[in-house]
Amino acid sequence: MTEAVTAGRRRFQRPAQMWPIRQPAKTKAIEPLPDQLAIMSTSFTVLAVVVLWFLAQLLLFSGLEQGRAQDRLFGQFRTQLAEATAPVGGIIAPGAPVALLRIPSLDYDQVVVEGTSSGMLLDGPGHRRDTVLPGQAGVSEIFGKSSTFGKPFADIVNRGAGQKMTVVTGQGETTYKISGVRRAGDPMPGALAAGGSRITMVTAGGSSALTPNEVVYVDAELQGTAFVAPSGRLNAIGPSEVPMASDTTVMPALALSLGALALVVVGALFARQRFGVMRTWLIAAPVVLALAWMTSDLTTYLLPNLL
Amino acid sequence: MTIIRPREIVSLVLALLLVALMVATGDGRATAATADEVGAFSKSKTVTREFIDGDATELVDSRDVTVNVDHTVNLRGRERVKVSWTGARPSAGRASDPAGEKGLAQEYPVVVMQCRGADDPSLPAAQQMSQKTCWTSTVQQRSQSSATRNAVWRKDAYAAPADREQTSGLDDVTGCEINPEFSTHATPFVTAAGKTFAACSASTMPPEAAVGAAFPPAEVAAFTNGDGQGQVNFEVRSATENESLGCSDSTPCSIVVIPIMGLSCLDTPATDACEATGSLRPGSNNFANDGVDAAVSPLYWWSESNWRNRITVPLTFGLAPDACNVLDSRAPTAFYGSELMSQAALQWAPAYCLRKDRFKFQLNRMGDDPAFVLVESGQASAAFVSGTREKSTADEKIGYAPSAVTGFAISYIIDEPDNAGERQQLNLNPRLVAKLLTQSYTGSELGRQHPGMATNPASMNIDPEFRALNPGLDTTPREAGAALLSLSESSDVIKSLTSYIANNPEAMAFVNGAADPWGMVVNPSYKGIKLPLAEFPLLDSFIPTTLDPCRQQNPAPYFTQLAAPVTSFRKVAEAVLDGWPNVQTKCERSSAADPYKTGRADRPGVGTRFMLGVVSLGDAARFGLRTAALQTSSSVAPTAAIDSSAGRTFVGPTDSSLSLAAATAKRGSTSKAFDLSQARLAKNPEAYPGTMIVYTAAKTRGLEKAEAKKIASFVRISTREGQVPGSGNGKLPEGYVSITKTGPTAALYAQAQKVATLIEKQTPAAEEKAKAPTAAPAATPAAAPVAAPAAPEAPAAVAPTVAPTEEIVATSSQTSRPAGFLLPLLIGLALAAGIAGPVTRLIARLRVQA
Repeated sequence: MTEAVTAGRRRFQRPAQMWPIRQPAKTKAIEPLPDQLAIMSTSFTVLAVVVLWFLAQLLLFSGLEQGRAQDRLFGQFRTQLAEATAPVGGIIAPGAPVALLRIPSLDYDQVVVEGTSSGMLLDGPGHRRDTVLPGQAGVSEIFGKSSTFGKPFADIVNRGAGQKMTVVTGQGETTYKISGVRRAGDPMPGALAAGGSRITMVTAGGSSALTPNEVVYVDAELQGTAFVAPSGRLNAIGPSEVPMASDTTVMPALALSLGALALVVVGALFARQRFGVMRTWLIAAPVVLALAWMTSDLTTYLLPNLL
Repeated sequence: MTIIRPREIVSLVLALLLVALMVATGDGRATAATADEVGAFSKSKTVTREFIDGDATELVDSRDVTVNVDHTVNLRGRERVKVSWTGARPSAGRASDPAGEKGLAQEYPVVVMQCRGADDPSLPAAQQMSQKTCWTSTVQQRSQSSATRNAVWRKDAYAAPADREQTSGLDDVTGCEINPEFSTHATPFVTAAGKTFAACSASTMPPEAAVGAAFPPAEVAAFTNGDGQGQVNFEVRSATENESLGCSDSTPCSIVVIPIMGLSCLDTPATDACEATGSLRPGSNNFANDGVDAAVSPLYWWSESNWRNRITVPLTFGLAPDACNVLDSRAPTAFYGSELMSQAALQWAPAYCLRKDRFKFQLNRMGDDPAFVLVESGQASAAFVSGTREKSTADEKIGYAPSAVTGFAISYIIDEPDNAGERQQLNLNPRLVAKLLTQSYTGSELGRQHPGMATNPASMNIDPEFRALNPGLDTTPREAGAALLSLSESSDVIKSLTSYIANNPEAMAFVNGAADPWGMVVNPSYKGIKLPLAEFPLLDSFIPTTLDPCRQQNPAPYFTQLAAPVTSFRKVAEAVLDGWPNVQTKCERSSAADPYKTGRADRPGVGTRFMLGVVSLGDAARFGLRTAALQTSSSVAPTAAIDSSAGRTFVGPTDSSLSLAAATAKRGSTSKAFDLSQARLAKNPEAYPGTMIVYTAAKTRGLEKAEAKKIASFVRISTREGQVPGSGNGKLPEGYVSITKTGPTAALYAQAQKVATLIEKQTPAAEEKAKAPTAAPAATPAAAPVAAPAAPEAPAAVAPTVAPTEEIVATSSQTSRPAGFLLPLLIGLALAAGIAGPVTRLIARLRVQA
């Protein structure tokens, strides 16, 4: 191994000599498994790792992500309110912050974004685009997740009944009173009085926390006078924006992201052969992690939006 | 052509009966002292000029002036009223344009102006009229400054002592540059909001009096003829046009007519400028704007000697066009369609929105075709159209309820040569209209380059055919005379107008390429165009070659610039009202450093105006526009080179000619409009060819009950109280003929009532009846796109917010299987796979060891 150096015949060392490609073979303590069994066992393990990662992402990490998005949206919305540029009507770009929901007694704060497709709800509760904005005369609908991504509406469903909710929009501040949870078969709220305003919060619920399979509603009635609703709202929305819809427009991005992940994994395996585990780990782990995070985020677009 | 209304005939009869009160006016109208609904006004007053020397008073001149105004109540913005007078002193030094400051260099004119407030000393000061609430559009009309020997107002016998000071009229001189050597008088302007503008310089005038303000000056120093008579069409401004003046339904205003008699002077020698009696001969012209004797000019209308001679005409204004939006917060029920309805809708809307038991009616102007499509698709409940439309589906049921008999007119503003006033009568035949619409006049030398049109006249007033029908006009070629300002959008009016051409063999021969008897040919771009058309296209793309650097840098189709159609008839009407053609051939730059640009040609001076435009009869009546008489029949051979209008019948829009036209309409069924084609109209040579019937078209099947009720009530109300002529809310304005239970419009009335019943009933189709005996599904979209702020379409989301009763509706179930099993599945999978991996390995190892 040090032959070239000692011999002095080569003035330049090959990198391979500096960083050895192969570790010296360790003595085998146990017999190797037959190939089929090894593949099967490893596949199961890989499947378990992937599923566990996705579960962890859905239930744990997504909360972090949503918290960060809320921070960003809050800052953006606060600036817009201060500049009086917060949207109050017309056609608003999906994903833009439109309102701030506050339940002081529950220490609850969420920035509502425009749009109710799966992707929009990752950031926070979403305002259904063909309804009036919260605070305006008429019925406004807000969709929110109850099990994943920070569970923004879990609190409202579980503890919201009877609480006062403050809504801040570009038009000002209004106060709503939250009534109880309304499930299939419960009576619908009555017709709104002229100039009245209601927010219907829509999320997923079910017989247990693990099976949120039905759409539940929480109504909040305005206390006081509503703001005028400017004209120019959309009068139709896409199929991906209704309750429990999934957003399949993400497919191309998901395919690219999965491809990139596969490419990086193959690259990492190749690099491990060449540069060893430690160096490969250092380089590839953050990349794989980031890609895995992105891929599982994109995968959630395909899940029902209220989940 | 003036429209003679029934109420004027009534007032004529009254006037004849009350001989003692009878006042016969110069234009043949009679104005009795009885106050009718339009508020015709008449008042006489003795106006004088006196020279006072010590105790001696010399009466220089005294005249008994009678002022008549044809209507004074419920006026709307830009409406023109006819002010006429008799007995005034004949004017001298006639200006080419009597409006605004250009009318100042005249002698003994009659100043007509609009002032806020009433001339009643018993009222509180804020509601009283004074010189300070009278509108003028320039500072020259309000404030004067001159060397003391010329300051004639300081010798006014009736002026208060303070007004004879060297500087008078001003409490606050901020912003005024007062020359201490000179005498100065200013008449400040007090706005409706109470703000005072010193009006001593251009910068201290109210904003509406800015140079080049949006509206041309309305106040005039009008000319009195040698017989002491004169008249002017005076345009009133509401708060919408002039907020500082601020006339509205709640703020009464007045027209002030001041026959200028000259200043009454106090203790002046006979040679003093104050005692001047005019330097020009009565009836003379002063086109050069030469200096006149200031003492008898309109410059000092505000001086007490002139002001005391005023005759004040009280006015009332109608509700502003936005009254319903301000006073009624309900969601409007929008009717889409014909602009012919706009003046009627202006007066009708408050009769609906101000009553809680009615709905909020709103007219949204739109082409007839797109409006009908909105009704078909359910996005609108009703449309105003003027003809039967094709059904898009077989089971669609649409009812046509006649709502108004009105039409279009070709309005004009044409000056007689030698400043002899405006042309009173204009005759047009279909071929002349065709020549204008097909852009066959060349406009100027630029247009003459167009291949195949070198021998065509430049403008209509040179065309021998036009001159034969309308003798006595000037022969100056002008670009505005080559165009008929029309609509760029689709409309049944354009269809009717082009069908008027299509129905005339002589006009169609011209369009199809035959030269007229004088050798004029159609513009080759339009040769053989298929008429009628709902939207008249701009087909000519000829770009002239020229040495003009501006045109070289801005090459554009010349004939399109001449025609320059606009998007609404209202814009055409305002262009004619202002006498400002929409010809877009002005090509210039403001300085050598700026780029060249094209734009609307300058407003021509009074005396040289020549402009024609297609307008609705409602607008023409509101703005007092003159309308052309259209040819209805001809006994002259089409190829004859005529030199007079003999043998041809021309009919203008009058109540009787419109009624005769409506009587020719042939009834079809309730799901069809009446047949009022040009072929039918031509059967009666006394019927006006521009007559059109506007229908409320609404579904008689598949319309929501509540909406159907509103539409049906509209049809009933609009054909009953909406057909009573008048200027008030809910009444029928001028330019429309009443639809009545009896008489020539009886068939229209009967159809409207039938269709109203059908709309209310909403007969479902046979199979629908069998399927759903109860109400139609609530999923019918809401009336108008703007009407429903809420009510998303998600079936489970909310109850229909418009539900009239408190029905208990259960929240429907909406579930998602993936959402239910996803988490358990994932957890199960993770557990299973996580266990399976090591277990496989373990089992294998155990086997190997065994």
